Amino acid sequence: MSSQQVPPSLRNLLADVLEMSADEIMPQTNTDTVENWDSFRHLQVVLAIEGEYNVQLDPQRIPELTSVALLQAELEKKGIAL
Amino acid sequence: MPTDSGQTDCRQRIKDAAAAGQAQAALDLIRQLSTDSAKPADMMFCAKTIADLGPLLEQQASIRRLKTYIVRSVTLEPVLPSLRVEAALARYLLDIKLGGFGSYIEELLDAAGAITKFQPDLLVVALDLEEIAGGLADLCATGAGEGVAQEIGECAARMEGLLRAFRSTNSARIVFHGLVVPDQSSLGDVGDANLPHSLPNAVAELNRRIARACHDIADCAFFDADHLAARFGRARWRDRRMFLASRLPVASQFFQSYAKALVRAFLPLFRAPRKVLCTDLDNTLWGGILGEDGPDGIATGNTYPGNCYLEYQRYLKQLSARGILLAIVSKNNRADVEEAFARRSADLALKLDDFVATKISWDEKSTALRELSEKLSLGLDSFVFVDDNPVECAAIQQHLPEVAVLSAPVDEPWRTVELLAQQPYFDVIAVTHDDAGRLQEYKAQAQRAELANTAASREDFLASLGIVCALQSALEAPLARAVQLLAKTNQFNLTTRRHSAAEVEGFAKANGGQAVVIRVRDRFGDAGVVGLALAQTTGETCRIDSLLLSCRVIGRGVETAMLAAIASQARRDGAARLLGEFIPTKKNSPCATYYSDHGFTLASAPEGASEGSVFYELNLTDSLPLMPVWIHTEGNTSHELSASPTLSS
Repeated sequence: MSSQQVPPSLRNLLADVLEMSADEIMPQTNTDTVENWDSFRHLQVVLAIEGEYNVQLDPQRIPELTSVALLQAELEKKGIAL
Repeated sequence: MPTDSGQTDCRQRIKDAAAAGQAQAALDLIRQLSTDSAKPADMMFCAKTIADLGPLLEQQASIRRLKTYIVRSVTLEPVLPSLRVEAALARYLLDIKLGGFGSYIEELLDAAGAITKFQPDLLVVALDLEEIAGGLADLCATGAGEGVAQEIGECAARMEGLLRAFRSTNSARIVFHGLVVPDQSSLGDVGDANLPHSLPNAVAELNRRIARACHDIADCAFFDADHLAARFGRARWRDRRMFLASRLPVASQFFQSYAKALVRAFLPLFRAPRKVLCTDLDNTLWGGILGEDGPDGIATGNTYPGNCYLEYQRYLKQLSARGILLAIVSKNNRADVEEAFARRSADLALKLDDFVATKISWDEKSTALRELSEKLSLGLDSFVFVDDNPVECAAIQQHLPEVAVLSAPVDEPWRTVELLAQQPYFDVIAVTHDDAGRLQEYKAQAQRAELANTAASREDFLASLGIVCALQSALEAPLARAVQLLAKTNQFNLTTRRHSAAEVEGFAKANGGQAVVIRVRDRFGDAGVVGLALAQTTGETCRIDSLLLSCRVIGRGVETAMLAAIASQARRDGAARLLGEFIPTKKNSPCATYYSDHGFTLASAPEGASEGSVFYELNLTDSLPLMPVWIHTEGNTSHELSASPTLSS
């Protein structure tokens, strides 16, 4: 899988928050593979996504969205055009 | 979308500027991006860029690093990028360390703990209601007040005790984060408003108590977070979902406003306010063009649109009441302006007399500002310029970048006051008695200049001024004023060390220590407290740590009086020599020859001295520096000078 499979807007946003290059953001990128993706960073990921796509994520779902693919799927499920 | 592509473009330019090492340009672009977009991802991008540019920003944009420790009981991590960005835009590079959740008591009280090790310049205390007064909500349930007043008193006293205990071992500046008044309680809006001990009333009272305590603690500012929340709407300020799930105290849409206000709260602890407001006249101080509309045609007074301008004039008048100097800088005919002020005096809140200077001519405004700066002995970085003409504003920005420029919105005159109030130019946490008398003092300066032209010799002139210097310990004078002088004096300041109030107190109380303030008055006016010296005698040497004087008293022998006072006290403390230090800066060349002018010779640097310092010494065993004959002295320090047995020159 490659970074091209992640929609550009989400890819760029995650690159900012996780302080990585956009090319490194792959669907399988997750909290275990990115060293600084801890719980605070995860909160920043969520806030950035909510601000960017004008959406609210369910606090109970938030801790489960631990990879790029899961975040993307959650947004798509909510009908967000990525 | 056009806005998004604008952002992408701006981000690319930030990247390019950063890659080229143009720190100031990158910062200007970051300012632009943060004005257009406050999206969390953009702020994180900006914060990262600022962090990467750190050392370059320090070199190129004279940005100062500020070690900031935050004790907290809430989740502030997501706010930090915005905080870093807003601080950088105010020229501070924050080096932040966050305390643990709920461990604030140990952190504040442990003098050998994490805070002391970190050696912060700034301490932020950000606790929520749960932590400060967890029992209050239940006590307020009936609104009847059983125990509420007592609980408020105890909680405020506990916070004050914590802050004072911290202050006794640490001199970091403190910002205490006030509580946001809860938007609702089980009493409902009507009960909340009418019952004196409702939760909103109780929390507001608690805030007031803590603010008062902060006011009494040196270098401690209260950050009124509730005021800010109310401005944007308390109901939206906190996202309850995110607060309950993650203890996030502020909704993410307000991160930037919150960060900006928090930065504004700490600025006056580190930086002196600006001192002069230069205003244009036509379409700024009044509506219309005087030269075209005539004195009766310009808009000012009680009816719209004149009242927009009247409001602005009143705002300026209020600034003037606390010592901000007002000046007119206008392209007009002087006679027309004088006629307008005379004919429309009933419709104007300001008289010509309220202005310390009037630059009314057809010259370039940048020239006028330069002349004003010289005449008042005030740096251009203490000037604010307000003008409706974008061309004039741009010209000042380009030629005099130190001047803060505010563009008055000519089509929306009702917004001028609001725009001015949004800027931190004149923010202070204390107003001293000396501030209020400043206009008269600067006017007196102009009169002195006239007398100087007529007096025969320098000494005759100085004697004719009738100068009286009162020398006091900094503890006897208002300490706030001494600290204010340390913070804002740039030109006649030998070492430019920005000590805090606690550090000044340290000098005053130490064995062999001196913290001397000087008050000066003459026949034209009372300049108030204008100088401060800090010195410490150890063994045979009295080392002068700091010596500074307001520029408006220089050249009248006051600088010599200061030295005479320190020398005589040093002698009494057993010192045989004075050791003076000069640290050159961009601005303090006026005092470069201070020590050599007073008979000091070059000395070797003591151990541990910083590299840029030049040291001078003076032997005190043969003679002492003398008080100038034309100066009369008052106060303890000076009397004993004449009684000193070693005085024999």
